[in-house]
Amino acid sequence: MRDPFRAALRQGFDAVPKVALITGVTGQDGAYLSELLLAKGYTVHGLKRRSSSFNTGRVEHLYRDPHEEGVRFFMHYGDLTDSTNLIRLMQQIRPDEIYNLAAQSHVQVSFETPEYTANADGIGTLRLLEAIRILGMEKTARFYQASTSELYGKVQETPQKETTPFYPRSPYAAAKLYAYWITVNYREAYGMHASNGILFNHESPIRGETFVTRKITRAVASIRAGIQDCLYLGNLDAKRDWGHARDYVEGMWRILQQDTPDDYVLATGETHTVRSFVELAFGHAGYSIEWSGQGVDEVGIDRATGHSLVRIDPAYFRPTEVDLLLGDPTKARTVLGWSHTTPFRDLVREMVDADMAAIAGTAIAGAAVPAEPAE
Amino acid sequence: MSRGRTALIFGIGGQDGAWLADLLVRRGYAVHGTSRDREASSFANLRRLGVIDRVRLHSVALGDFRSVAQALKEVRPDEIYNLAGQSSVGLSFEQPVETLDSIVHGTVNILEAIRFLKLDTRFYNASSSECFGNTAQGRPAAEDHPFHPRSPYGVGKAAAYWAVANYRESYGLFACSGILFNHESPLRPARYVTQKIVRGAADIAAGQADRLRLGELSVARDWGWAPEYVDAMRRMLGHDRPEDFVIATGALHTLEEFVRLAFEGFGLDWREHVEIDPALKRPADITHSVGDPGKAKRLLGWQAETTMPGVVAKLVEAERTRRRSGAPLEAPLPVPA
Repeated sequence: MRDPFRAALRQGFDAVPKVALITGVTGQDGAYLSELLLAKGYTVHGLKRRSSSFNTGRVEHLYRDPHEEGVRFFMHYGDLTDSTNLIRLMQQIRPDEIYNLAAQSHVQVSFETPEYTANADGIGTLRLLEAIRILGMEKTARFYQASTSELYGKVQETPQKETTPFYPRSPYAAAKLYAYWITVNYREAYGMHASNGILFNHESPIRGETFVTRKITRAVASIRAGIQDCLYLGNLDAKRDWGHARDYVEGMWRILQQDTPDDYVLATGETHTVRSFVELAFGHAGYSIEWSGQGVDEVGIDRATGHSLVRIDPAYFRPTEVDLLLGDPTKARTVLGWSHTTPFRDLVREMVDADMAAIAGTAIAGAAVPAEPAE
Repeated sequence: MSRGRTALIFGIGGQDGAWLADLLVRRGYAVHGTSRDREASSFANLRRLGVIDRVRLHSVALGDFRSVAQALKEVRPDEIYNLAGQSSVGLSFEQPVETLDSIVHGTVNILEAIRFLKLDTRFYNASSSECFGNTAQGRPAAEDHPFHPRSPYGVGKAAAYWAVANYRESYGLFACSGILFNHESPLRPARYVTQKIVRGAADIAAGQADRLRLGELSVARDWGWAPEYVDAMRRMLGHDRPEDFVIATGALHTLEEFVRLAFEGFGLDWREHVEIDPALKRPADITHSVGDPGKAKRLLGWQAETTMPGVVAKLVEAERTRRRSGAPLEAPLPVPA
């Protein structure tokens, strides 16, 4: 049973500030969601995995010494493969809302480390749900699971909506499939407020550098600065539904504000090819691309100079490619009142501008975020 | 002699991995390295040493047998160095399962992969002085000193040590453990106490902070210089028999002496700036830990050149240089209790 007094406070007043726990806080979505929740008055606890590499660039601007007064953003070392660690942290933090954004999220890497991917992405989700149960927080904590359009893989219908059957095509997607269903199962079995957001591709200037969109915009900036000759890509005709991460974290938050937990597709409902992303990105930097040749020999040529700016490297083809991913966000629009607000063209421009600024030295790498202030 | 040899370093992104990669590249090895996620890792240490373009990188999660076996099969290394795994004693109290998993399960996966692929290779495993716990009063620990680990990290390292010995004896693998005492360099992340002290003192000297919170200062350790220690690893695999070696300076110093020297290095009196925070003390700590490197000197011709005062001087100098060059600071993460 929900506590009506607490619920009323929540809806009407800001008297009880909420506490959120975000796993995967150092990633793109973790950074945008932290900013959103801090702006809404939340206290935010982020979990990051140990690493010998510096990887907190995306949230550095939010971080202050926890000994100072009034600090509302905290980071903890956490690991989804360690239940004891998750339970202890959850016990200390007592979050009202948990956003599980942590994952080995690279599709290609999941073919190389399938067992680890299953452990972190699949069973890791189970460990969080179990931590909630063991601590008796089933009725007080709300849980968001970052599901993905990769679940549709070999698509069974187009566009894809909440009722479209899944057909995962990678160890990453198979692990995420387990996470999706275990979230649904804990909702139905234990009455937990647990929901899935099935997010289609969402990008931003702080997207990981190995994701195709960011790889393109960085290459455009590097080529324009004269420090790179050519951009190598895989399948130019792969079609994706690309939105802006800033819009999508708003959707995550709305999912947890519903009285009833449920699963939602978050997508733009538009589709674009890698090729058109490339054309727009180069176009914004003042190049005009002309394509010539076919298949692995296709080349993108700069109309002005005749230089080859884009080539194909078959190494980037996936062992099993997914088909046209196009989401139908009707349910999110009608129930959550959510829809994407950043047009595709603006997304590409923002990413190219940020990478060009970073290369020009007007911003330091990793912090090239057009970050809105936290408060 | 080493020209044409191929080495595979598990955990190449860490302090020791980067120093070892640098050493082996300079000695003419073809060097391959692994990290959990090659795509996401920034490999800042390899970049800092300027060797990122001279090594080949693979994505390997040590708990994932396929990824370990696949890397061994592709690289077919003459020498394998396992430097991967959770490496912070403090964090091991917070993440005991992940710590044990990455250290023990990871080491056994490599041993099993060598066995499975029937590789003719030499294997070095990074063991640790943490296996010993407190070393006997007045006598530095040699290889035969009993184990009594005092943290989940030490427990994992002790189990991995015995797994290596067991595979050597059971299957005749050329497998050895280097029982390394503390070894430092500027490549340590900020969560390690030595970097925390040096950077903290530098911040105070620069007027960016006025206090530094530390845990127990009476603990005593045997501190050496990491670049020298990775050379001992290479020598172990070049020895004619697989054996375990203690690698240490043989000199014992308290953390308080370390703090005093570091602050003096920046022209400061530590007593005016250091605050003892009981919350930073560990559930169980080692009070004194010092090693006897006699066997390494006799059989490998290795001995430490730099002892604790020299280590501190080098760390202070490196921090000054870094600040002058304006290299970015790591985010100040909370140090686990």
